Amino acid sequence: MELVCVGLNHRTAPVEVRERFAVPAGKLGDSAKELLAISGLEESVVLSTCNRTEFYLAGEQAEHAAAELRRRLAAEHGADSDPHWYEHHRIQAAKHLCRVVSGLDSMVLGETEIFGQAKDAYRQALDAGATSGILNRVFQRAFGIGKRVRTDTRIQEGATSVAGASVELAEKIFGKLAGCRVIVIGAGEMSRQTAQALVSRGATSVFVTNRSYDKAVLLAEEMGGRAVHFDEWQAVLAGVDVVISSTSAPHPVVLPHHIESVRRVRKFRPLFLIDIAVPRDIDPACGAIEEVYLYDIDTLEQLAGEARVRREKQIVECDRIIDEELKKLNLPGT
Amino acid sequence: MDRWFLIAATALAAVGGITGMLTVHQGTRSRWTVIWMVAAFAAQLAFLYVRGQMRGACPLVGIGEILAFLAWSLTLFYLAVGPTYRLSLLGVFTAPLVVIFQIVALLPGVWIVEPERIPATNPWRETHAAMSVLSYGALALAAVAGVMFLVLDRQLKDHHLQSGLFRNLPPVRELLKSMVRLLWIGVVLLSIGVVAGFMMPRQGGGAHLVAASGVWIGYALLLGVRQVRGLTGRRLAVVAVLLFVGSLSVFALV
Repeated sequence: MELVCVGLNHRTAPVEVRERFAVPAGKLGDSAKELLAISGLEESVVLSTCNRTEFYLAGEQAEHAAAELRRRLAAEHGADSDPHWYEHHRIQAAKHLCRVVSGLDSMVLGETEIFGQAKDAYRQALDAGATSGILNRVFQRAFGIGKRVRTDTRIQEGATSVAGASVELAEKIFGKLAGCRVIVIGAGEMSRQTAQALVSRGATSVFVTNRSYDKAVLLAEEMGGRAVHFDEWQAVLAGVDVVISSTSAPHPVVLPHHIESVRRVRKFRPLFLIDIAVPRDIDPACGAIEEVYLYDIDTLEQLAGEARVRREKQIVECDRIIDEELKKLNLPGT
Repeated sequence: MDRWFLIAATALAAVGGITGMLTVHQGTRSRWTVIWMVAAFAAQLAFLYVRGQMRGACPLVGIGEILAFLAWSLTLFYLAVGPTYRLSLLGVFTAPLVVIFQIVALLPGVWIVEPERIPATNPWRETHAAMSVLSYGALALAAVAGVMFLVLDRQLKDHHLQSGLFRNLPPVRELLKSMVRLLWIGVVLLSIGVVAGFMMPRQGGGAHLVAASGVWIGYALLLGVRQVRGLTGRRLAVVAVLLFVGSLSVFALV
């Protein structure tokens, strides 16, 4: 019995190549079933995400089947893609799968979405009758190892983006973000991403203000929030917990006296100020107010960068766990 | 026997605190602190039972017994409200205070080796002593939460976010909520204790009752100002810590 992984990913192929081989999310099972027509192949799973397309193959002549698969792919989608494909055989194929489900092979190291995507790919193949003894064991074991890697290491720890770092800090200040109220000053892309990240964690009542009111309305609609005229944002300040500011103003927009004027009304509740504008929108003196936590773009970038470095340092430990677990298995096909 | 139970409780709380600090320093959560503290609590209960049998009443005579009772009360509130926080980390902050109270209780001169049996008990006196010391447990834990808040607040303000301690501390808002809740519990219990104190038969001036009333007024003012006007978390925490440290002087007058 042989186990082979044939694939391409964001490291080996640019998006214009990857998109040619992408398999629609709902057709992974059918695609896996169709592969069984290749001689010497008994089992298959097709995994396709925006960053990778991979074929996991098992059978008496899986290596031969892998060559046939690549020939067919070249015939269907163009031979120029051939240099972008990689192949892993036997134990290396199982190890590669473990690294994929653990997020070690992802563009954002340690990301969790791939785990669910791999599970879905396997479930579809299983439902389509495209898997049996070998791939069932390999995939189920890989999911177990992936869980252990994520539990026993810090591969998921720390946010690796400005938006993620902002959310983590907001959660450190407010705990669960359900019920948190946010005002977005300046309807730019960065503030949209950050507000979106907060909303995805439960923040409600998003107010959007912008010099161009139309843009504020558009972003507010996208967030399910409310647009506020730029000369009225200070009235909203008393009721919010988080301020995200990202305007293109050449001078600070949020000044200490704006906050001082609403402190009593707010009953001195904690206020989280996120300044992602350059030049800065929020006067640094605001950070000296007792209940205010002020973070600018440099600090948030630094936090995200440190988290990336911490995750990279975990790779060796993750690989050690994968090797240790795979040694215990004596998997057929590896 | 009673002394050994208290020594065991002190050692268990110390182990819980030290192991907790070490794991937090490594950046992980201490799952064992709560186990050590449960064991310390059991030893404290055994101590109070034996001592109560010797006294024939609630063992609250002299500074040693009061401090031991206070340590028990503090542990009790920690175990009761801990789930509101991340349990183990609150234990890491609570354990040192428990250890200090119990070490002082065990010191020669403070510890009464052969406690005298209390001939007749008075329900007002018993209620006064028990409720007052129980309230101090809640107020002590509020002060512990206050210290935790001050540490977290400083780290957030200074952008020092990489320590294991920072990662394990509960969120600002939860700490503040818990602190306020504990202050309310403490003040309600202390109110009962103070009222019972004025109802109990007294010999002498009752200076500690006047001091206890002063403490009660201090806490009531703190909660009142917070409720009506609002207070920053930092001020609430600082005052809660200072009031608790100051309120310990009441025991010197008992």
